[in-house]
Amino acid sequence: MFFSLNELVQWLGLTVFELWINLISLCVFSVLVTLRTEGITDQSPDTWWIVFSPLFIADALNAYFCTIVLIRMYLEAMYKVAFLRVLWSFCFLTTIFVFEFLLCKKLSGQSSLEYSEVLSPVFILLQLMAVRACQLH
Amino acid sequence: MAVLQRALFTWFILLVFLILLVLRLDTRIHWNWFIVFIPIWFYDNILMVYVFFNMMSYCRNGHDRLSNSVQRKLWYLLAIILKMLSLIILCLKLENPSYNISTVYVMIPIWILLPFSVSDVFLTLIKSSRSRYL
Repeated sequence: MFFSLNELVQWLGLTVFELWINLISLCVFSVLVTLRTEGITDQSPDTWWIVFSPLFIADALNAYFCTIVLIRMYLEAMYKVAFLRVLWSFCFLTTIFVFEFLLCKKLSGQSSLEYSEVLSPVFILLQLMAVRACQLH
Repeated sequence: MAVLQRALFTWFILLVFLILLVLRLDTRIHWNWFIVFIPIWFYDNILMVYVFFNMMSYCRNGHDRLSNSVQRKLWYLLAIILKMLSLIILCLKLENPSYNISTVYVMIPIWILLPFSVSDVFLTLIKSSRSRYL
């Protein structure tokens, strides 16, 4: 479309496999959100944690995948590439996870944070993505 | 447009939209939801024009920047339309709570779009499985 998959992978610093995992988790998440908002499932505030579970599982799987790649790169003595990759993956996964966690807490009524505070990790990630965009060629 | 320009354009649109969204969610502004989504409407329209002109260019010259078939470009257009449809229903739902529009209607275009995207990415993944780190 506007970006080819290769350009997207280059910009976001994710692999195709990570993108695929995220897409699947979004699919399941969209179904669970609909069930929750339509009142088909239990309406207690704690069910938001179940609704968000696919996203948390996807983050965990991506973190596991990144660790495996890091170990393999380390064993092949690609130290600099491995360090840069793990640094970016750590920033990406952490900001996304913190955002999901804060949003889940906010929706379950366990936190009195404002939405501007909940979305602050996303704004940080956006700044990092701007830096990565400038490195594209 | 070079990839840098496209990336920065996308980044800027996303930033403006998120700022408007946060202001609206925190009720610091009370704008209509359709106004809050203006950056997204603008981006989607630019995207449609971009894909359409690439399609025209492909039909006229037999090649273009995207180097995809016409079928694929039509799928891109359909995907943009489905996304816009979903957002329009979402805005209607948020703007008129008394209408009681079901979330299912908001999600139907997404549920059409996502499985195709998942299978498309999966096929790319299979094709590139020879690559060392996927």
